Amino acid sequence: MTGVLTTLWLAVLLAWVLAGVGGLVLPPPQAVAAGLAAGAVAAVLFRDTIVLRGLVALLGSFRAVLPVLALRHLAGMAGIDILPFTTVELAAFLVAYVFFLAAATTALPANVYRLGYAPWPVAGMVLAVCAYGMAQGSLFIPLVAVAGQAFWVAGIGSSNWFDHVLHAALVPVTAVVLLERLLSL
Amino acid sequence: MIEALIDPLLAQLSPVVWGGALAVVSLGLSAVAIRRDRPLDWRFALPVEHPADGPPLFETVFDHRPAEGQAHSPAIAVKDDGFTLVWFEGSAEAQADVDIHHARFSRDAGGGWHHDTPAPLITRRALSACFEPRQAVITLGNTIQNEIAPDAFYATVVSVGGWAMASVADVRIDPDRRVPVRAHKLNLSPLLNRSHLVKSPMVAYADGSHGLPAYFEMKHGYSELVRLDAEGRVRDVRRIPEGRNAIQPMIVPLDERHAIAFLRNFGTGSRRLLVSETADGGRHWSAVHDSDLPNPDAPVAALALGGDRILMALNDDAQRSDLLRLLLSQDRGRSWRRIATLEDGGGDADRAVRYPMLRRLRDGSIVLAYSQRGKHGIRAHVFNDAWVNAQ
Repeated sequence: MTGVLTTLWLAVLLAWVLAGVGGLVLPPPQAVAAGLAAGAVAAVLFRDTIVLRGLVALLGSFRAVLPVLALRHLAGMAGIDILPFTTVELAAFLVAYVFFLAAATTALPANVYRLGYAPWPVAGMVLAVCAYGMAQGSLFIPLVAVAGQAFWVAGIGSSNWFDHVLHAALVPVTAVVLLERLLSL
Repeated sequence: MIEALIDPLLAQLSPVVWGGALAVVSLGLSAVAIRRDRPLDWRFALPVEHPADGPPLFETVFDHRPAEGQAHSPAIAVKDDGFTLVWFEGSAEAQADVDIHHARFSRDAGGGWHHDTPAPLITRRALSACFEPRQAVITLGNTIQNEIAPDAFYATVVSVGGWAMASVADVRIDPDRRVPVRAHKLNLSPLLNRSHLVKSPMVAYADGSHGLPAYFEMKHGYSELVRLDAEGRVRDVRRIPEGRNAIQPMIVPLDERHAIAFLRNFGTGSRRLLVSETADGGRHWSAVHDSDLPNPDAPVAALALGGDRILMALNDDAQRSDLLRLLLSQDRGRSWRRIATLEDGGGDADRAVRYPMLRRLRDGSIVLAYSQRGKHGIRAHVFNDAWVNAQ
């Protein structure tokens, strides 16, 4: 199951990249459609090539957050109204996540990541995220948290809930978005 | 008119309603996870004391030198009818032609040990093809027996970069064809699941489960004890306090609650073997500190012999790796007596003997394996408690 979902995940990520490239020459809705089709074909046809095996080795196995983020962005390109993250949300996330990653090295003595293996802490964290989403009127973050919990409970992908809802690639992505907003002020 | 009033209301309520629905779903998922979860037993399996009756026995059973390239980091997989040695072999460590090789050992009719021809067991190509999900494998490193399941190993796998980008993979072997048939990486780090390696044997717990000693080696290394559930998925990780660049933990349980970890001094400090202790089954570990034993930046092997006795194989010099001795402690590692010099290269670095491993076999014999000639070969000895006592 993890292998199948990883192929699907790759298809979405490739679709996102290809739609972005296609958007340079096509109207956004057509670029999204072409990206989705090309991503699916590429993920299936080339999944056993060194390029895609290397991509899986680099990014890790299936997890919820990246494909959901990519689909969210594609939906926005296709013209669907998307509630953007606020600058404060993004900045707070970036700072907290960098500290979280630093704790996985020797930079900080705490080991927050190990809480993601245990059911009680995960239950508390997911409920807190749902409460935050309800307070902010945002469905996206609770959706990622609960989807990640569902995969985690089902034993699909990582045995750590954090891996399902976070990814180190979010650090440069978030930083770039924040930089863009700063430059557009 | 009514719709015009209701629609904005629904639009306002919907995130709350949906958020609440997701919270309910989450509660259900949590209930399943909590109900299914088996609390970890933090009592070590008691080391078994073996009788030292019979004559002292010491036999060199393996002296492997590849025709070219390196053979390094041997591990011992204990079997019902003997043992299997595994090691990595290729042109040089961390190169893209390194595979895991093995040789099976069993007793012949006369009671002596014999082994089959060394051959590859886990190749990069075969491992890449059976990974779930399928992914690239650039090189392979330290590999140990996975004692949770038969014909299983934990391999250090590099898919991108060098050792600092390594991951630990649970690899299952087809015992007849002797090829990997299933593998997945353990989830040990949020940093793209990188920089974790294994070196030392697993630690047995009283409930039949095992802990996996692992270490992080990105910049400043540290060691940890990984607890796994019955399916082999990571359930908890306990760090041995960092700060001393202490890696390759060799954990020796002394009783149900107490254990001592001997750690390679990977730093530039004292050139002494580092230690840390636990008094609660591995949940918490003391700060890493120097022992009285020298350590030339090399891992050690140790084995609980029962009671308060520990047998250790180490490079017994702060600088030299060509000197390998057996040491015996009768007081839980507080003091040591040197009982045998197994290798002495006279200070010649090309004769370095490194990466020892000690395991107890089912018949009570003890196996010691290590790499020799500066990573260019594997040597193994089998001996018994009577031989240890006679030194």
